[in-house]
Amino acid sequence: MRIFITVLKKELLVFMRMPALVFLVLYVFTIEIYIAGAGISLEARNITVGVVDYSSRVNSSKILNHLQEPNFKTPIYYTSQEKLYEDIKNKKIMIGIVFESDFDQKTYKNIGAKLNLLLDSTASAQAFLAQLYLQNILLEFQNAYELSPIVIDNHKLFSPNAKFTYFMSITELLAIITLITVLLSASVFVNEKENETWNLMLLMPVDPKIIILAKIFSQLIIITIGTMIAIGLIIFGIFDAPFNGSFLMFILLTFLYSFTSAGIGLFVAAVSSTIMEVAQLSILIMLPLIFLSGAWTPVYAMHPILEYLSYLSPLKYYIEGSQSLFFRGTDIIDLWKYFAGVIVLGGFIFWSGMKKMGKLF
Amino acid sequence: MRLSVIRAYFKKEIKELYRENLLWYLYGIPFLFIILFGYGIRMEVVDSRTLIIDYDQSKSSYELISKFEHSKYYDVDVATIPTKEGLDKIKRNEKDLMIIIDSNLQENLLKGQKVHIGVFSDGAFPLRAKTLEGYATGTIYDFFLSKMGSSTQLNKLIMINNRNLFNQGMRDEEMIIPGLIAFILLVVPAMMATFLIVREKENGTIFNFYASPITKSEFLISKLLPVLLLQTVNIFVLWFIAIYMFDLPFRGSFVLYVATSFIYLIISSSIGLLASVVTSSQIVAIIFVAIATVIPGFLYSGMIMPISSMSGEAYVIAHLYPVMYLTHLMYDVFLVGDGFNGNQNISYFFILILYSIILFILSYITLGKKLK
Repeated sequence: MRIFITVLKKELLVFMRMPALVFLVLYVFTIEIYIAGAGISLEARNITVGVVDYSSRVNSSKILNHLQEPNFKTPIYYTSQEKLYEDIKNKKIMIGIVFESDFDQKTYKNIGAKLNLLLDSTASAQAFLAQLYLQNILLEFQNAYELSPIVIDNHKLFSPNAKFTYFMSITELLAIITLITVLLSASVFVNEKENETWNLMLLMPVDPKIIILAKIFSQLIIITIGTMIAIGLIIFGIFDAPFNGSFLMFILLTFLYSFTSAGIGLFVAAVSSTIMEVAQLSILIMLPLIFLSGAWTPVYAMHPILEYLSYLSPLKYYIEGSQSLFFRGTDIIDLWKYFAGVIVLGGFIFWSGMKKMGKLF
Repeated sequence: MRLSVIRAYFKKEIKELYRENLLWYLYGIPFLFIILFGYGIRMEVVDSRTLIIDYDQSKSSYELISKFEHSKYYDVDVATIPTKEGLDKIKRNEKDLMIIIDSNLQENLLKGQKVHIGVFSDGAFPLRAKTLEGYATGTIYDFFLSKMGSSTQLNKLIMINNRNLFNQGMRDEEMIIPGLIAFILLVVPAMMATFLIVREKENGTIFNFYASPITKSEFLISKLLPVLLLQTVNIFVLWFIAIYMFDLPFRGSFVLYVATSFIYLIISSSIGLLASVVTSSQIVAIIFVAIATVIPGFLYSGMIMPISSMSGEAYVIAHLYPVMYLTHLMYDVFLVGDGFNGNQNISYFFILILYSIILFILSYITLGKKLK
């Protein structure tokens, strides 16, 4: 145990002696998450609208008055369709609306007036949402909801105003935990290889398991502190995110998951002899792991082969579990599958990483 | 600038790349990325796990349900369970969408009274929740409009006549792949270039550079050239995959595609060089490059989120990172097809050239020729 603590202290000291690294780790756990959460939103917000209006502008301006913040920016008027098209092409405008000259007459006579919509569908998700918004605005404008026999009661569960900030910042945090854990825990070992202190380590009269565990543990402490800062300062502090589940469970899940990432790190460290190889392998493993984990796209919408592969990604269980804890407020009993996924996959990865590493001693 | 020196260094670099098995990285990773993400990232919401709770069990409700069943957007499950149980299913992440049909649907419809239909979506995924809500609302309104026939006032409403520019079929591939190419051209060369100098620093072979009469610019150029030349192959490979595997149209100018991609290679390699020049240890350099490329490459490129709808600092940052300009040009050559006729394209092209010069000069200035 004394040896364990000594190695632990040494690794923490090594980390602290690299101010650039300390700074970078702090940066990713704070500013990076803040930027992603505050600035990036996949929903259609601030949609830029361009208008060409050939009509007498009676009804059209009434409709355009309904295009309001935060979904739409104030519409910009164009004199001709060509100019509008030009700006859509230059990505200054996302949707263009063209009112024909007989728009008002047709509206008054109720003979199916048409509103021409030009969508920049290089961003198809947002273009689609923009179209939906506009459809709703038109229906509202014409009191269609009162005429129609149905009333649709929409409920967005768990996060009523569907704020993207929470979603983005949490997803970003989980991705960063994965990335940093793998890189740090792999580099702890490979540093020794590169600095030729590896042999010194081998000569020490210490059980290799203790060395490995202590080294890993030291990095996990760093990650845990980073996570705490990120959650306390950014996610709860600045963004004021909701938390509907059990916080203890989240900490436990994070702890178990970081062992999984550390396992990947061990594995990477065992097979590579230079930091360069660590970086290559980590990129090769991490990026698919992160992007195919269902963090960005739901797993069942992927290509079937990738869908099956994603079940092997421990990050998938971690992300789904965390989302359930943050937003859905899932009961503890129903969390078992996420824990099972993380424990089984993570256990296997960590065990094989340990074994692979142990062979080098 | 002496060509013979550059040539000698060049040879050495190529040999090293080969001996250290870096070539598979150079060519394997871009290929892997485009395949994985091209097939893996889907913004369109299809096959959403939908639960319809039908308390009415009438002809109308069956018709409505079959409307849902015939759409590719939903993967429908019909059940008659209490609402609470349905909510629990969403809570356990088993369903994304729940639609509740009250028991008086048919009756109220015939009487001409208002019918309430409940739509519940899982807000944990905001984009998906909004899209699903929109889909469901559309499907339900559609159904009732068709049911009521042409006699009602509803059919005389103002309708939207929409045209999807550039990506008529709203295909996800067409939206993702051009941005993905820009992303790959940013990350891979940057990583590659980072390795080159930091490795020398850590191995101590950088002293060769300190001690030999080679100048700074010769050193930088001979470091950049091999990476650039080897990466150029990727420009064509990525293009080939995009066109033949993902069936993308190519409406723009091929010259513009190759030229911008090449300039971009200089930029991303220079970012890597800069990172390795200013940092002293490899691990710091790598994390630095990862931060400077991977995350902005995805988020600030305009690939998954239009730049025009970003707010505040994100908007500024997006304009500071060069990746946005390349992404714009990539969308242009694949989908829009304006080429050198568009003023915006030309200005973006020159902005990219400017970036490549600035970044190269920056790494020239920061590279020291003696031990600190």
